[in-house]
Amino acid sequence: MKVSTAIITAAGRTQRKLPLQTLTDREGQAQTVLRLFLDELRDAGIDKIGVIIRPGDRQVYEEAAGDLSETLTFIEQTEPLGYGHAVHCAKEFTSGEAFLLMVSDHLFVSDDPEQNCAQQVIEVAEAQESVISAVQSTHESKLPYFGAVAGKLFEGQPGLYEIEKVIEKPTPTVAEQELMVPGLKLGHYLCFFGMHVLTPAIMDLLGQGLATASEQNPLQLSPAIAALANRERCLALELKGRRYDLERQFGLLMGQFAVALDGKHRDELLEGIIELLAQARR
Amino acid sequence: MTTAQQESVLIPLIVADDSETRNTPLGKICRDLSESELRKECTALDAFWRASDNLYERVRALFFLYAIHRFYLPAVLSTKDPGLLSFEAFEKFLERRFAQSIEILLEEERTSGLSDTLCSSFAQTYYQLGLQNLADQVRRSVRTLRGNQWMFRTGQAHEHPLRVRKELLELSETGTFPVIHEKTAVRMDLSHSSWSDIFFLGMDYPEGARVLNISVDLAVRGRDETPRPPVEACFRVIDRPVIRLVSVDLEASAEITDLADMFHFAKDYLGLLKGALIAAGVVPIAMEGSRQELGDLLERLVGPGRGIELVSCVNNIPKGSRLAVSTNLLGGLIAACMRATGQAKSLSGPLQESERRIVAARAILGEWLGGSGGGWQDSGGVWPGIKVIEGSAAGEEDPEFGISRGRLLPHHTLIGNDLVSGETRQKLQDSLVLVHGGMAQNVGPILEMVTEKYLLRSESEWQGRRESIALFDQIVNALKGGDIRLLAELTTQHFFGPLQTIIPWATTYFTERVIDAAQEEFGDKFWGFLMLGGMSGGGMGFFFDPSVKEKASDRVLEIMLEQKRQLQKSLPFAMDPVVYDFLVNEHGSASKLKKGDEAMMPPGYYAMVMPELIKRDSRTLSPGIKAEMDLFARRRKTGKDFKGTTTKLLSNLFSSNGESKEAEAGLDDLLDLHGFDPLQHQQIREDMQQGLLGLSKNRLSLNSQIEDVRDDDVAMAERDITESDIEAGKAALTNGEVAVVTLAAGAASRWTEGAGVVKALHPFCKFAESHRSFLEVHLSKTRRVGRENGAWPAHLVTTSYMTHEPISDYLDVRNGFGYEGKLSLSLGRSIGLRMIPMERDLRFLWEEMPQQVLDERAQKMRESLRTALIDWAKSQGEGSDYRDNLPLQCLHPVGHWFEVPNLLLNGTLAGLIAENPNLKTLMLHNIDTLGADLDAGLLGLHRRNGDCITYEVITRRLEDRGGGLARINGQTRLIEGLAMPRESDEFKLSYYNTLTSWIDIDQLLANFGLARADLGDMDKVSRAIREFGVKLPTYITIKEVKKRWGHGQEDVFPVAQFEKLWGDMTAVPGVNCGFVVVPRSRGQQLKEQAQLDGWLRDGSKAVVEELCDFG
Repeated sequence: MKVSTAIITAAGRTQRKLPLQTLTDREGQAQTVLRLFLDELRDAGIDKIGVIIRPGDRQVYEEAAGDLSETLTFIEQTEPLGYGHAVHCAKEFTSGEAFLLMVSDHLFVSDDPEQNCAQQVIEVAEAQESVISAVQSTHESKLPYFGAVAGKLFEGQPGLYEIEKVIEKPTPTVAEQELMVPGLKLGHYLCFFGMHVLTPAIMDLLGQGLATASEQNPLQLSPAIAALANRERCLALELKGRRYDLERQFGLLMGQFAVALDGKHRDELLEGIIELLAQARR
Repeated sequence: MTTAQQESVLIPLIVADDSETRNTPLGKICRDLSESELRKECTALDAFWRASDNLYERVRALFFLYAIHRFYLPAVLSTKDPGLLSFEAFEKFLERRFAQSIEILLEEERTSGLSDTLCSSFAQTYYQLGLQNLADQVRRSVRTLRGNQWMFRTGQAHEHPLRVRKELLELSETGTFPVIHEKTAVRMDLSHSSWSDIFFLGMDYPEGARVLNISVDLAVRGRDETPRPPVEACFRVIDRPVIRLVSVDLEASAEITDLADMFHFAKDYLGLLKGALIAAGVVPIAMEGSRQELGDLLERLVGPGRGIELVSCVNNIPKGSRLAVSTNLLGGLIAACMRATGQAKSLSGPLQESERRIVAARAILGEWLGGSGGGWQDSGGVWPGIKVIEGSAAGEEDPEFGISRGRLLPHHTLIGNDLVSGETRQKLQDSLVLVHGGMAQNVGPILEMVTEKYLLRSESEWQGRRESIALFDQIVNALKGGDIRLLAELTTQHFFGPLQTIIPWATTYFTERVIDAAQEEFGDKFWGFLMLGGMSGGGMGFFFDPSVKEKASDRVLEIMLEQKRQLQKSLPFAMDPVVYDFLVNEHGSASKLKKGDEAMMPPGYYAMVMPELIKRDSRTLSPGIKAEMDLFARRRKTGKDFKGTTTKLLSNLFSSNGESKEAEAGLDDLLDLHGFDPLQHQQIREDMQQGLLGLSKNRLSLNSQIEDVRDDDVAMAERDITESDIEAGKAALTNGEVAVVTLAAGAASRWTEGAGVVKALHPFCKFAESHRSFLEVHLSKTRRVGRENGAWPAHLVTTSYMTHEPISDYLDVRNGFGYEGKLSLSLGRSIGLRMIPMERDLRFLWEEMPQQVLDERAQKMRESLRTALIDWAKSQGEGSDYRDNLPLQCLHPVGHWFEVPNLLLNGTLAGLIAENPNLKTLMLHNIDTLGADLDAGLLGLHRRNGDCITYEVITRRLEDRGGGLARINGQTRLIEGLAMPRESDEFKLSYYNTLTSWIDIDQLLANFGLARADLGDMDKVSRAIREFGVKLPTYITIKEVKKRWGHGQEDVFPVAQFEKLWGDMTAVPGVNCGFVVVPRSRGQQLKEQAQLDGWLRDGSKAVVEELCDFG
């Protein structure tokens, strides 16, 4: 398996503006969030990138991508039928190959100095020739925001699990009954990171779900991954990295801190934060 | 294992793998063991429970220890030394530090030896420690159940992982939010489970824990049109950041703005709704005491500016139906909350099996939060139709694995139409008359008895359980075979056989009279009886041939009403009996999501809340409320369900207080009739308000020197009664020189927990195959003495405003039980009016006097309730008259001291002497001292000693609290518990007052300054008594009084009253008093119904029965 195609989904009603925001990157340069994604994907060896957008958003996205815009393929999701539908819109673009799927409302920061997050996922997917969902051990208070998986350790490899069950935004009641994974801290579950390597079979499964999808009953990705896990081996990889949900309150700010603290202006930023804290009125 | 453990013959009963050894009755071995052998077993068992990690082993060892100390050791103890109670151990006992208490008792045993008194302390402490272990394990299991754990660690609002589903946040065009309307059945236990649904039985003996549980809809016959799911719960979002709770049936509502109030369960009548929100995780339990803002929590759940409303309604199904209404209501409320927050998948329709199991587990949690608890089958109404619920063995995945043999939660197997046909279901409905007999019951003690007997494998009870298990299969087969008549025969056989073998108290006099009447009237068309729940008298079933069912339904109601009318003074009834029409509910708990114009609450909700809204300025109403008022106005005209709501609404809008004025007038009449002394009352009230009288003032001065009596201060009946005493006593009896005085003026507040029935008339136990009342037992003892001595002693029964008429009627109807001698009543001429207690007295009672600390949640519930009751006292006016109840509940008898002077004041004694000038001695005893009789030896001893009054005392056991015999500043006298300067003083005293006393009439009169000839001069008698009465202390006491309302609901209020007590005669200078120690079986008093079982099993009942001659 070789992964050289990626999809970024950016058509969500409340998320579509997030990739257009400007942050200061690790080098101290102003960059759009979209541009940060594209850099990460290029570093991971991806050369074919599709961005799922809402109709009418193409121009602003081209501007946000800057000189890389010409390397992108923009795919419009013409009806708001859910995240699964957005992925399915790229069926032709992926043309029967495995692909990396990345959400656009999160920032990813790797803790591995050698590999960014996308590289970690792709490396394992290619080595195992398998679907990989990046996951992160997540406190139960954040369950309302993520899909979560249950699984057992795969061939005894730390951080790699064979997926047995996938539930989208479970309640803690359900999570405790169905998603407990040995070895995690109490009240923590393996939640999606926002990054997957998927095989073409996912497009068939999503296609089957489209018949009943509507704006009120949107098509989700998690059930399709759950169904895929019944068909073929699907693995969950605990990444060495962190994700920052940009959509949440102070999400962009936290994302900015995370990226900047990971870069060369770390000390300068820390000094600024300390000064800010010292001056802040209660 | 220690050597002692290896040598033990009892430990193998606990650890054996083979069931035959494990099920060997404890009694079979213990009754043949000597004192030293039993004590060795105790040493081994005590070490064993401490070392065992296994719940079952630990608890069984603790109950063995209890039983040995309660039943077997006292019978073989060589020492006659009475022994003292340890105050230090008692303090630990009250604090629920039972293990520490046992340490102290063991040390006491090592230093002072084992006595009967010490045995009683061991017995009670081991018993409570056993129960505590059980309760802790149930809680741990609920808490560790997957799906519940997170609620115990979510302590911050920002960590709350639940969100209300977005479908519920969408406002309709008319401005209303959708409503989840959950309807839930209640459950009927068709097999009766032999109480095997007690958690511990299921957890220890899963193969023996089985019930046939049916979900039913109900209608109260004659009131409701058709049966429907009795339990309704509604959940919706509202446009204010509060939690609004409404109980339609209890007509209570509250808007909660402070998170702490969510955990204040007894503040209002909404504890169940609060419990449901917490158990469902909407308000996680870990937030208790977290000082979080409710607004932050709500913002997380439903967004800014919004809140939640939870409404309950049980369609006025009376409390105590034994159909688990409250557990199923809790289940329905939890289900609605779980749907709303996505913990149950669907917003409408039935629940999935895994969801029902979580609902059931959370209902247990909710009950624990509220300090109560039911059986594991109680949430059966959440499941559909007919099902067998069984205990199931704990597997490796279960939190109980390695701790108990079975799981906390049982397994439900639905029985479909293929096994029990639709035709059979119809036949069951066509035959069974389901009723609520109306009796108020506390089944808690019964459940403890069942647990104890199971653990001890008591011989006949264990045999009964095995028979019950065999009957269960036959009952299920009868139902599957569609043979309802056979089913009825089996449930009847079950009730009169195994159930009563296990718990004799499962039946009541009322129940058996109704069964007899049904049998007599309907002959072979009456097919049988079914007991529901912990005991009979409340929820029950009567099977009839379907051809007479309609008529039988009406007649059973009439029969029950008639029996209630006859027995309501002797048995506690909470309400008039009712008959239910029922249908099998094939859905269990199911909901409907109501939107737009359909998004309404049950009709009763509007009758309750609209009057208040109508009175408010419309400009202050939120848009949501206005929208709902519009909706109600439209639906009121067209909605079928809303028929009658307007009438109720108008009645609520213009509610009057006519009824209470009527009750007040009745109270004043009663006061006048029974010689109420308003001046005395006013004086006492003022003294109480000024702090001159009160609980703290009851006590003797702290400087008083309290010591135990010396050997020569008391006579020992066993040692000191001589042959000539017996001869003298017999001669006096033959010569008619003695009469019995039975004190029967009291309201039995402990016996029926404030229900206000006449204890004397309570048919509390079967003697010679029939239920007999206390009074009948006392008369039968006098009959025996009369027959033996050839002369019938006079038997006087003292009565009060409360007991006179019922006792008089009771004796008239039964022709005085054919007693051959003179039987007369002495009507009390003293009465008190209860008062609202002073806050300082309540605080003294609850904060300064030692109290039994309760289990964690029950204690929190109690504290919450006490806060509310202090607020109640302050709002009502401390020290003011208590008039807000039925007139009889506002009055009180003024203490048993007055009952002796009453004999003089009302002419009873004069009449008796006139008829029988030989009369010299009275034997006075309390109604609950069942062993007291005209014992010739004691009479002879009293005569020989020549005292004015000889009081009988007994050695003390842990339950004998409330004073005793003491040397106070050198004077030997009785002291009441409430007069003890310090709590610890009571523990210095070896003997407890039985109140039974032998009175020399002439000496007593002389002390009053009277002679026989003066008894006709009422002015002189009155004056003498008033002057003498001043010498006795007046005590203020706090009693609990029940106030009944609604459909079988009861509130208990603390009220203040005063009393003077007969034991204080020993403190009056010049009154010569003697004291004699009598055997426990003679002096034991039955104060609480929970004592009955031990009294029966330790042989005391047999002793009493020997004394009786029922004619």
